[in-house]
Amino acid sequence: MNAAKSFSSRLAGWLPRIVVAPSLLVVIVTVYLFILWTGVISFTSSKFVPVYDFVGLEQFVRLWATPRWHTAVANLFIFSALFLVLSTGIGLLMAILLDQNIRSEGLLRAVYLYPMALSFIVTGTAWKWIMNPGLGIQKVVNELGWTGFTFDWITDPNMAIYTVVIAGVWQSSGFAMAIFLAGLRGIDNSVIKAAQIEGASLPLIYRQIIIPMLRPAMLSVIVLLSYIAIKSFDLVLALTNGGPGSATELPSTFMFSATFRRNQMGVGAASAIMMLMTVAAIIIPYLYSELRERNNG
Amino acid sequence: MSKFLASLVAATMLVPAAARAEGTIEVLHHWVSQSEVDALNVIRKDLETKGFQWKDSAVGGMSGANAQQALRSRLTSGDPPGAMQFLGWEGPQWAEQGVVRDLNDLAKAGGWREALPPQLLAFVTSGDAFIAAPINMHRQNWVWANKKIFDEAGIAVPKTWADLIAAGKKLKEKGVTPVAMGDEPWQIGIIFDALLSDLNGPEFYKKAAIDLDPAALNSPEMVKVFDALREVRGLVDDNFVGRDWAVATGMVINGEAAMQFMGDWAKGEFLAKGLKPNTDFYCFATPAKVTSFQYVIDSFGMFTVKDETVQKAQVALAETIMDPKVQKGFNLIKGSIPARTDVSVDDFDDCAKLGFNERAEAIEAGSMLGAMTHGFAAKPEFASVFGDVAAQFFVGKMSSEDAVKMLVEGIDNAR
Repeated sequence: MNAAKSFSSRLAGWLPRIVVAPSLLVVIVTVYLFILWTGVISFTSSKFVPVYDFVGLEQFVRLWATPRWHTAVANLFIFSALFLVLSTGIGLLMAILLDQNIRSEGLLRAVYLYPMALSFIVTGTAWKWIMNPGLGIQKVVNELGWTGFTFDWITDPNMAIYTVVIAGVWQSSGFAMAIFLAGLRGIDNSVIKAAQIEGASLPLIYRQIIIPMLRPAMLSVIVLLSYIAIKSFDLVLALTNGGPGSATELPSTFMFSATFRRNQMGVGAASAIMMLMTVAAIIIPYLYSELRERNNG
Repeated sequence: MSKFLASLVAATMLVPAAARAEGTIEVLHHWVSQSEVDALNVIRKDLETKGFQWKDSAVGGMSGANAQQALRSRLTSGDPPGAMQFLGWEGPQWAEQGVVRDLNDLAKAGGWREALPPQLLAFVTSGDAFIAAPINMHRQNWVWANKKIFDEAGIAVPKTWADLIAAGKKLKEKGVTPVAMGDEPWQIGIIFDALLSDLNGPEFYKKAAIDLDPAALNSPEMVKVFDALREVRGLVDDNFVGRDWAVATGMVINGEAAMQFMGDWAKGEFLAKGLKPNTDFYCFATPAKVTSFQYVIDSFGMFTVKDETVQKAQVALAETIMDPKVQKGFNLIKGSIPARTDVSVDDFDDCAKLGFNERAEAIEAGSMLGAMTHGFAAKPEFASVFGDVAAQFFVGKMSSEDAVKMLVEGIDNAR
């Protein structure tokens, strides 16, 4: 009886660890081991197949001497910055407007959130046609009578990256809205009432009280949207396929083509490591601050 | 009686089983469109008459890049397929890794080396080994033209690029889009490859695109190529972004555009509409003093495997692929011409016949060239630099001199 009890209590203690162990093992092997392996490859002269000779930073030097990589990095910053600011801003605005006790809010919420349910492939393909000057917006406006109107960003190497931003923002701002809306619902009404009694105007209440109180929601939105920005591979693939020329290349499309289509596995691995560093630069401070807060709490 | 019946039943059951018992071979390839699958069936049926089964492993997408990835993981896990479709340098590169079976005995017995154009051998041999059986040959540097548009504008088939560009300008004035194409780098690359040889001769092509000779890359001749490419850009409409090659072919068929530069896989689109070469549409090589034949081949290589029945099936498959009869049947459907030069031209359409003739001339004239854009000249890490520069030049406003500078630097960086 006693022995059985101690066994079951010991089992109860071990059970969480046993349950978690397989998934932990899978994550260690499929994520961290391969990150390590990619790191190793980036220091070798691998081209068509992996080879294990150590050539130091040669592949990184080659990577940074490739103009396409510079385009890709610049595009990532342009895209991420605009995508984050616009998605967050539009999402917040929509959330605040939806929060005004309007009619059929549920329906509108679904409508705005719906693009998130589409894959980036669908979004990209649809916007490719919408923004094609001979098929989409430009043609419609021209046929309506405004013949001088042009909207041909998608054909212009200098502007094409902004078309990716448009499609990305269209897809993701509804998602930001949903998170902000949840945050708004969590704010105690009495705070707002108190401010109103004090005579604060509505814009002031939002600027000084509500938006600062949405800080946790804001952080979640930014972190989640950063992930989306960095892995926006399929959006670019469907919308512009990296073109025109290589004007909309992103680090992820660069990495894929170097590794799998251009016989430059070492360069591809080096670019993957550069991407990892970028993500780490964002995520590690975030994790650090989160964990510190939790420990303090 | 019952014993007799039982043995009869057993015998009838055994017959198909015995036919299958010769062995099965798994073939990894990236052909998934209808005409490609129909063409493959020619090989499959011939293989079955020899008593071997074809196990299909089709991995489509990304012009074969997905199939290459599948192959990599199969090889890494020690379970290669019996045979694999090779494009460009893939065959020789896998052979360097020592995983490809040498078919030299078969090649010697079958006289394969003599039956193939000598320029092809770099892609199907590795040292002394014969590593892949080529089934077909596409030509990349074709022009497909709408005959009605040409006739109405009083334009003859151009004999030089200057003629072609002048004809294009004339058509543009009449309100017809002279050239239909998309902005994908490989579609631009087709024109670049053609100009490289057509303007400066096949020797220049070999120096620049195969030997990567710095003097050739950084030469006034190269500037000339980019200048001509800029002229071609002026003949393309502004909606070319993201346009699929088959859509562009459709524009020529429908009379929205006059010409398209495309490999002979475009021919199928015309034939499917019931159009006839030289009565409804023209097919001609990109114009040059020395007409080049820029080839793209598909070949099948066999991997080293332990299973003896698969080894036997590999021999049977290789022999099937190199059978002139099979090559004819396959290519009649696929739209290409046989890799072997000794297959009769009967039954092929006029475009293919022209291809046969010009191939024979090109072999003599030294203008039989591997198509760089499809991986049959420089290795991919270099060919893709050409593709990048040509594409960026084409869609942007770069000067020809800057493009040449970018090309030279890009090639040096990839060395």
